[in-house]
Amino acid sequence: MLETYIGVLLLGVVYGFFVGLIPVAGATTGLIAVYAFVGYFEDPYMLVVFTTAIVVTSSIGDSFCGVVMNVPGAGGAAATMIDGFPMSQRGEAARALSAAISTSWINGLIWGLLVFLFLPWYTKIVLYFGIREMFTFLIFAMTCVVFISSKYWVRGFIALIAGFMVGHIGMDPETASPRWTMGWDYLGDGIQMIPVMAGVLAFPELLSAYRMKAEKIFLDNALIKSQLIQGIKDSWKYKWDGLRGGFIGGFIGLIPGIGGNIADWFAYSQTVAAAGKHADKDAYGIGKGNVRGVIGCEGANNAQKATSYVPTILFGIPGAPFEVIVMGLLMYVGLELGTPSVLADGVFFDHLLSSYLASLIIILPIAYLFIKYAVKITNVPFRWYFWPILASLIWSCTQYTGLIEDYYMFAICCAVGVALKYLKFSRVSFLIGFILSARIEKSYLQFSGLYEWSDLFTSWLPPTFLALAVAAAIWGLFFNKAKIDFV
Amino acid sequence: MKQLKKPFMALALAMSLLVGYSAPAVADYTFVVPQKPGSGTSVWTAIVAKELEKHLGEKIKIINIPGANDIPGFNKFHNDLQSDPKVVMVSHGGNGVSYLVDDVDYNYYEYDPIGMMNLTIINGHQKSIDPYTDEILFSAGSGMNPDMMAHILLKGGPGLTMEQGKEIFNTQYKFIKGMSGGERRLSYQRGELNVTRESTAAYNKYYNDAPYSTVWFSQGVFNLETGEIDADPNWPNQSIHEVFEQKWGVAPSGEFWDAFELVRNFRDVMQKALWTKKDNPNTPALVAAFRAMAADPESMAKIYVKTGKYDWIIGDDMKGALDILRNQIERDTYANLVDFLKFTGKDAIFKEDVIPQ
Repeated sequence: MLETYIGVLLLGVVYGFFVGLIPVAGATTGLIAVYAFVGYFEDPYMLVVFTTAIVVTSSIGDSFCGVVMNVPGAGGAAATMIDGFPMSQRGEAARALSAAISTSWINGLIWGLLVFLFLPWYTKIVLYFGIREMFTFLIFAMTCVVFISSKYWVRGFIALIAGFMVGHIGMDPETASPRWTMGWDYLGDGIQMIPVMAGVLAFPELLSAYRMKAEKIFLDNALIKSQLIQGIKDSWKYKWDGLRGGFIGGFIGLIPGIGGNIADWFAYSQTVAAAGKHADKDAYGIGKGNVRGVIGCEGANNAQKATSYVPTILFGIPGAPFEVIVMGLLMYVGLELGTPSVLADGVFFDHLLSSYLASLIIILPIAYLFIKYAVKITNVPFRWYFWPILASLIWSCTQYTGLIEDYYMFAICCAVGVALKYLKFSRVSFLIGFILSARIEKSYLQFSGLYEWSDLFTSWLPPTFLALAVAAAIWGLFFNKAKIDFV
Repeated sequence: MKQLKKPFMALALAMSLLVGYSAPAVADYTFVVPQKPGSGTSVWTAIVAKELEKHLGEKIKIINIPGANDIPGFNKFHNDLQSDPKVVMVSHGGNGVSYLVDDVDYNYYEYDPIGMMNLTIINGHQKSIDPYTDEILFSAGSGMNPDMMAHILLKGGPGLTMEQGKEIFNTQYKFIKGMSGGERRLSYQRGELNVTRESTAAYNKYYNDAPYSTVWFSQGVFNLETGEIDADPNWPNQSIHEVFEQKWGVAPSGEFWDAFELVRNFRDVMQKALWTKKDNPNTPALVAAFRAMAADPESMAKIYVKTGKYDWIIGDDMKGALDILRNQIERDTYANLVDFLKFTGKDAIFKEDVIPQ
């Protein structure tokens, strides 16, 4: 029996890592594909092991896409490419990957232990964080991330508004009727995150790299090894960036409804703010291939995944989109998360904790070892792997409905992405506007439906978030000198 | 480097073929669910499909076509997919409400019915409130409209008119928009909302042991022969008409009750229903498999865990239920319903073609 569990764990680790390597796919897409063979899991705890391994290892795998291919590995790992790929281009791919993996791993470990060892304690936090707190936190988060600006700041602002408008396409939450769908039913549920990531962020990078000659950067084993060690040292040196990212990701995962995709951008914005003028004088600035940019955002993604288990397990309320799929899969085999029977099921928690820790332990050497092979790709002319990456982008985008409309949507997003890049309208700003759009609108509707503005000042947390938002706005307008080159 | 070119090209070709191959089903039947993977109807379909496969003797693939109010998936079935005799549509209660008051392409009366579960919805409230006198704070949504109307009905008492219903909505009701199911549950647990609704299985899961919540009423079970709402076997003496009589001493009546009953029945009778194209050659096999599944105690035990214990209505019996439902659509009642839902903020429309001629 134990052998079978170990076999399933290893299968999940390999599958999750592979899914992480597929551009923009991420844990959600990887888990959806599990529906095809969920019937083979006769033992429900085996599925717990398998899904946990996928969640843990896909977060490690997605760093590779951003750093060596300049495409986001998943929705919550897009910011990695901004500093990771420039590092890769100047021959520091192994360092960037090592720093990303080390930071993501250590935050996964810290937050995983914090979650699973003290699970019941979080009930009060989740229940305390109500509609007013959510609304003001989103205002604060939005204020922070909009100041991740490019040097073309006017066009960046326009792109932000455009992203916000595109995020409004779908169903009007006030009237429950279609909004800006132009009669196309497919848009009824809004435009999905994956085609936007794939088309707006990834495809234009692929296209411009297609004609790029491969940099003849020869990384021999000794150099790779020294960069790997350097990346680990960087993770230690900039540990506060990584831990801050972990805290942000951990907090966002804990509270259902904030949306995991904002975690890495929020963490990245805080790294930009923290680095400020004091970014390494002898290194590249943030947004231009600075390892702090990689560390700051990579801290968030595994931490967010770990803490999103809290509301999912305690309340049966998914803390992140991938948890919806985990819940559905486990329900299929008779494990209903959030029910007293599961909460009292010691075997369930034993399998969850052991598979979480075992996956983390197994994936670390695999990921470090894989760096050696992944960096070779920087020597391969981009046009050689343009088609495989494009194929994997299409595959990820067509997991939504599998119908021809998925292809149309991907094509539209590609066209928009190329236009934005060519005209130097910040695609990061567009993406941030898109991510926050529906979330903020719904949060405002909930708030205005139940409360008056004066109710924001009847407890301490909402005014705190508002004050932080004002401070962030002042900093962003008057003191923020960091401008990223990425458009 | 040149030696790597061939493997890369081969990988590209393999992945392109994979993409091309990903859409068609590697199964005999395709069940279309109008919601995202992991949603309530998706999970229900996965459980039913697993049991049905045993009796059908063929594999079933589930595809999800989500969209606003879960309409696009059903429209897609109606306009494109139903021509394939191996495609089955899985609808839920919200589709029934949308059939009445939203702009949809699909029409239940144009398909072969395969089977449906005659389910119901449970409404609970915080123990700390008196729902008859306190302001109600409830999450909005298309599938929530019958519950919102039930609350107003219970507050208003016998003979409630539409205008009186509007008055109660204006003065004693907050219908909170923009909430997902998960947010609704958390807000109810926090006490930000004071009334909630769930299926029987979900209510038991989330609130049965919760010290702060109590069952207010069940929406009752639709009687296929009389068209009336009967007592819910899972919640004795707690069906809406019973609770109404306990509170007000008389049976519910009036134009508001009629409008409520119409939308409630269209939602709950077809909470989970399966359809294929009319005169589909596979209909008899599907219906036979459903009958076999419904007679199999082992299969039904697994399904009841998810749904609560409610009856299946299969094949031609469904046609009778559909006829009863259609005959309940009286012009004035229907107009009242649309007018009231518009008043509450929904973009509801009056559709001449749903009224029986």
